[in-house]
Amino acid sequence: MQQLTEEQRKQLEEKLKGMTPEQIQALQKQQCIFCQIISGKIPSKKIYEDKKCFVILDINPAAKGHLLLLPRDHYSIVTQVPEELLGHLFVVAKNLSQVLLKTFKADGANLFVANGAAAGQRAQHFILHLIPRKSGDTLLNQEEKLVDQQMVEKVKMAVEGKLQILLGKKEMPKKEPVIVTEERFLTSASAKRYHRQNCAFAQNIPEENKVWLSREAATSSAREPCTCVSGKRIPLPKEGKKSKVKKEKAAGTKKSEPKKSSQQKVKEQKSEKGADLDDIARLFS
Amino acid sequence: MPDCSVKMGCDYCDIVDRNSRAQILYEDDTALVVVKDLVLIPGQITILPRQHFTILELVPDEIVQKCSVLASKVSQAVFDSLEPHGTNILVQNGLGGGQKVPHFAIEIIPRREGDGLNLQWPPKEVPEEELEIVAQQLEPEAKKLGDLTVEPKKEEPQQKKKEEPKSEVKEQKENYLTKSLRRIP
Repeated sequence: MQQLTEEQRKQLEEKLKGMTPEQIQALQKQQCIFCQIISGKIPSKKIYEDKKCFVILDINPAAKGHLLLLPRDHYSIVTQVPEELLGHLFVVAKNLSQVLLKTFKADGANLFVANGAAAGQRAQHFILHLIPRKSGDTLLNQEEKLVDQQMVEKVKMAVEGKLQILLGKKEMPKKEPVIVTEERFLTSASAKRYHRQNCAFAQNIPEENKVWLSREAATSSAREPCTCVSGKRIPLPKEGKKSKVKKEKAAGTKKSEPKKSSQQKVKEQKSEKGADLDDIARLFS
Repeated sequence: MPDCSVKMGCDYCDIVDRNSRAQILYEDDTALVVVKDLVLIPGQITILPRQHFTILELVPDEIVQKCSVLASKVSQAVFDSLEPHGTNILVQNGLGGGQKVPHFAIEIIPRREGDGLNLQWPPKEVPEEELEIVAQQLEPEAKKLGDLTVEPKKEEPQQKKKEEPKSEVKEQKENYLTKSLRRIP
């Protein structure tokens, strides 16, 4: 492959940006050696072909009888190859593996795919290698190593979720964090009670005096719960100048529950009429 | 259960029976996706049919297809999660092929530049005539297979639909790939 200068590369990238996926595919096909082999523009030693795939001898084989299974259509890596076609390629490989075993008295075979240059991919066309093996040859001779259980579990943790999404078994929808478990209460240094964040009393606490407590810390402290905590009722904000100002301030600090803002608005509208248990349930469920 | 005698002592059947330290990522009626503790490189994932088949040639076509599709999905999942620079798909078939456990399996191996794993072979320069001889030996045998394509039953339009939503991911991959491919002399 010829090396491109920085300028040529930039031009090419610009050109690629302006192209439709179909055009890009056509260009790739035009540039791909294996597409040209399949279309007969470049000669090859064909072993098998059908409507979907094309099998040739590797001209630089790892072993005698090294076959390259190519999909007729251009794909770069395995994840692009349609499922049915990939399945077909493997079935063809299975049949040809048998042919190799018989013809060359091979002791085994390797199926090999490289996705990406780091994996050893040298052409842009997806290739399923079928390499006949003899006992004692040193091909692909890599020792397996024992890894510790921690690593095994780490890999599982990392891959499992993504795999299940890809296989259509979507993850169980993560339950919205139940507020009770992460609940925080507001109080101030000198107060005798503690409150929920949306309680009118909480909103009256000046910003600089606010003290946040976890449920644990709140219940174990000497402070008493406000009626808003027990769920009996949320004290209504007083329609005074002071509370209004504080309310605005509080609105600016509602970072922890941004998604609930619409609900809170509903709640605030309702609170003018008076909050009841249903409202509270809706807010905290 | 068919052929219990062959099954006995099979490490992969032990995985299927949950009698192993391997972790199961996914399983269905035909196949399992597992993480073994004996691997070429950490992050390697194995796909194996639930039923015991020693080598590829003995695995029914539909199970081969199912496993290969899983191989593709696992590759994608590995790309998404471990973010390797590439992946290898490897089947070690038969003792000569380096197969260690007598149970067909497909390995997905995440790869990084300079990971120390050598899965390459020295490319042999083979004279044209020699290739021709090999081709003449193989082609008549391969011809006997006939056409292995199964007529698709209205499945093609479905495929196209499936491909489209993935296009974004593909583009990213292509970008990486085209970049890395350019580096190859």
